[in-house]
Amino acid sequence: MTTERSFSVMARRWIPASAQLLFDAWTQPAELMQWWGPTGVKCTDARIDLRVGGTYLIDNLMPDGRLVRIVGDFEVVEPPRRLSYSWRVEPGEETPERVTVRFEPCDGGTEVVVIHERIASTSTRDRHEQGWQGCLEGLSRYVIAN
Amino acid sequence: MATDRLLNETFAALADPTRRAILARLATGECTVNELAAPFDISLPAISRHLKVLEQASLIVKTRDGQRRRCRLDPLALDRAADWLQFHRRFWNESLDRLAVHLRHTRKSKEIPHGPYRKARRGKK
Repeated sequence: MTTERSFSVMARRWIPASAQLLFDAWTQPAELMQWWGPTGVKCTDARIDLRVGGTYLIDNLMPDGRLVRIVGDFEVVEPPRRLSYSWRVEPGEETPERVTVRFEPCDGGTEVVVIHERIASTSTRDRHEQGWQGCLEGLSRYVIAN
Repeated sequence: MATDRLLNETFAALADPTRRAILARLATGECTVNELAAPFDISLPAISRHLKVLEQASLIVKTRDGQRRRCRLDPLALDRAADWLQFHRRFWNESLDRLAVHLRHTRKSKEIPHGPYRKARRGKK
């Protein structure tokens, strides 16, 4: 684990919809393309092979006209509650990062929790749920609240 | 890519509380290795090992002033780490905002008839 200690970014949002609906919005390309990315980024293509070991790609047209492709493969696929996948940016960094998304039903809606970890090693296959927990120590100021 | 490796080293270096404390001290100004070691209940060699990790991650620069070894913060690597965090923080927060709006505008989101509507509850760890 020593090489995997790395910083993480966490974002969470309570959304008045079921976990299944959110899971679908996250994993069906036609839906994903409608909301994906921050303001100014347009998703121009998405392909998703939703199964453990399956790959995905998401094309992002940046505000400055650059096309950035995000690729990776699925490590955990547990509809409608959990997803975990590697994350690489093309062209660019070669070390895979990892994104884990949890959809937790609560208060009549669902809390979506995204954890984006920067994995320093290549062992993205290990599925320790605890992996990111230790990373959060000292990171509370980076935890996203809004 | 070299910058990518450097970023990994930066994050790994920052993952240790003693090293973060050293950086916090250096943020207030340059100082000698002995001054840095003083507040810590660990040996000088142990401090030196931490300093080496910080130096390899380009977080600090060591200089020699006669017999004294001095350290100062190199803000560039920290900036890069902060940029990474900032970029992803914004990426996911704005994506989640858009996801919430997207679902609000689809018929299907009415499937929870009596759920309390609240706009983005603030979560705590």
